Amino acid sequence: MSSTTDTSSNPAGAASGRPRPGGAGRAGNAPGGAARGKPGGRDLVKALPWIAPALALILGVVLFPAGVMFFNSTRDISQSGVDKGSVGFDNYVEVFSFPYFWPIFLRTIVWVVVVVVFTVLISLGIAQILNKAFPGRRIVRLVVIIPWAASVVMTTMVVYYGLEPYFGVINKFLVDVGLIDTPEGYGWTRNPMTAFIWSIVIAIFVSLPFTTYTILAGLATVPSDTIEAAKMDGASPARTYFTVVLPQLRGALSVAVLINIINVFNSLPILKVMTGSIPGYDADTIMTMIFKYIQNQHKVDVASALSVVAFLIVIVIVAVYVKVVKPTREV
Amino acid sequence: MKKSHRFGAIALAAAATLTLASCGFGGGSSGGDASGKTTLNLLVPSYSDNTQGLWEDVISGFEKANPDIAVELEVQSWDNLESVIATKIQGGEAPDIYNGGPFAGFAADDLLYPAKDVVSSDTYSDFQDAFLANAEVDGTAYALPLIASARALFVNNALLEQAGVAAPPTNWDELLDAATKVSALGGGVAGYGMPLGSEEAQAEAAVWLWGGGGSFGDASEITVDDPANLPGAEQIKKMIDAGATQADPGSTNRSPLMDIFVQGKIGMQVGLPPTVGQIAENNPELDYSIVPIPTKDGSAFTLGVMDQLMAFKNDDSKKDAITKFFDYYYSADVYVPWVQTEGFLPVTKSGAEALSGEEALKPFLDVLPDAQFYPSTNPKWSATDGAFKSLFGQIQTKPAQDVLTEIQAQADAG
Repeated sequence: MSSTTDTSSNPAGAASGRPRPGGAGRAGNAPGGAARGKPGGRDLVKALPWIAPALALILGVVLFPAGVMFFNSTRDISQSGVDKGSVGFDNYVEVFSFPYFWPIFLRTIVWVVVVVVFTVLISLGIAQILNKAFPGRRIVRLVVIIPWAASVVMTTMVVYYGLEPYFGVINKFLVDVGLIDTPEGYGWTRNPMTAFIWSIVIAIFVSLPFTTYTILAGLATVPSDTIEAAKMDGASPARTYFTVVLPQLRGALSVAVLINIINVFNSLPILKVMTGSIPGYDADTIMTMIFKYIQNQHKVDVASALSVVAFLIVIVIVAVYVKVVKPTREV
Repeated sequence: MKKSHRFGAIALAAAATLTLASCGFGGGSSGGDASGKTTLNLLVPSYSDNTQGLWEDVISGFEKANPDIAVELEVQSWDNLESVIATKIQGGEAPDIYNGGPFAGFAADDLLYPAKDVVSSDTYSDFQDAFLANAEVDGTAYALPLIASARALFVNNALLEQAGVAAPPTNWDELLDAATKVSALGGGVAGYGMPLGSEEAQAEAAVWLWGGGGSFGDASEITVDDPANLPGAEQIKKMIDAGATQADPGSTNRSPLMDIFVQGKIGMQVGLPPTVGQIAENNPELDYSIVPIPTKDGSAFTLGVMDQLMAFKNDDSKKDAITKFFDYYYSADVYVPWVQTEGFLPVTKSGAEALSGEEALKPFLDVLPDAQFYPSTNPKWSATDGAFKSLFGQIQTKPAQDVLTEIQAQADAG
């Protein structure tokens, strides 16, 4: 084991073994919390000045817009934006009776699952490489951040123009090496299927840095003595990875997956740029559909209803995920 | 601990979801300021890189002549314009003067001043009657014509010659024949550039459907799903199936395709007056001519588009200021250079006279008398327009009748 890894993993190892006040570990936490919670009122008043800014932020930035969105979803808002009164849940009926709703829903699920799975798998590999010492590692680590630092729209535009027939560099390359036999190239972004697949590729690309770094941070907390012990017991590298390293990455991985799910589900710009010119609804996800309701049909009310639906879907996914994976359970 | 994490995750999800739909609170201030000045808010789209500068010139000239009125300018892209105006109206911050396309929805919601109330009678009578008629809802004009444009067929002479086509086509049969021959040249050259993508599908649709004797309807009824529209829709399919167009016409946007024409890789494409300037700037060597749009039987037709200025009823004390602004703007000295720089056609009688000698505009001024307009005074036009943008391109793969039915359904629902 190299000295670099050793020094970097030392403080982290110390931190994970830190003594806990009020009893150790997972079991001690809940009762401790309950005991602290009992005095209630007075403590809450005392705490208020400290949590007030955060509360104000949550109220103002999360709950208030959510309330307005829900309110809008039950109104009849004219195309020019005038509120014409309540319509109950008619807007929801319109959302669900839209013939393309279920295909769009399924496509959204495919979009999230494929992007997140590939992102995590690739990131695991990249993080493993970046965790090893090699000359120029610092530069490579910086390079990995670039897709994150660049604006998503910009990255997408670069690929979009690369894929344009007649002048796109990717198309030109494919024509030059003989993979495409029409001289102007293929309309990758003009057909729903190929545009959607390219969008997935871009989404994976821009999700990699965050995921890689989260996993890399997780790898830094894996104590080197556990790996050494496995080595001394004669475990193969593969076995060491799957039975020693990977379980210890659980915390980092589950956070990375959770945040990626939310991010990817709510991602609009990539699909908007890549599939924006395609007619019909064969490459839409829920997010682009919300956008189309607003942009093309000027139905702010129906768009709000679909947003509420999307919001509920995310909450359900997150709740199920939290229940099943228990990302905060310690190893 | 666990609980707060879960809540955090949900809050994060919420915050992320909400960013899209709840952007309904625009900022911006309006009304008079302390010095007793009247402030007019002006919301305009960007027609070209010149637009902002042109309006700034108009405003500074106007403010010099009317020191008690200030004009605040906001320029938006066409892509965003309609969502911006809807957001502003919803937030009670409608601009005083707005430059846009469809306006019948605003008139139906009783948001606009009748045109007569906000211009002097001299200015009003200077508008060409056909344009003013196109701005009427139930006999009252609610918008002031601003600019007009007409379309014509841009033809790449060199490609047609190379393909052995003697003269530019005048009807559909000749067009199909010429485009097929040009496409057969190979090397990535397309015979006819057909942009049915979301950018401006309604325009290319009108060129074909109306050219075959159809129509989108009138002020009271939208009739997209009409037998009269079928010949045009079928002809589009015929062109696509014959390989006479570029690849994937259903999802090709107009502006990027026009760039390809300018590069000399497309035989024929329908263009606008500003296209002339675009060619002069980017590829002056292009050997092209401008001819009337071919129709089914060769009869003369063009798609006219008119954009309007409209005044919102925010505060009656501003009405006089708005009137002064319009009267100033439409005076020939101000208006003609404005229209000329933007490369559009004038809508006033005095403007048409002043520009009649203009060489580049001549082919378009010639076809203008045969112009047909979108039924933009129909309150459902905006929905129809959106339906064309998002659905019409499907004609590449779906039966023509199905596409028309689907558009009609979405338009009726809007």
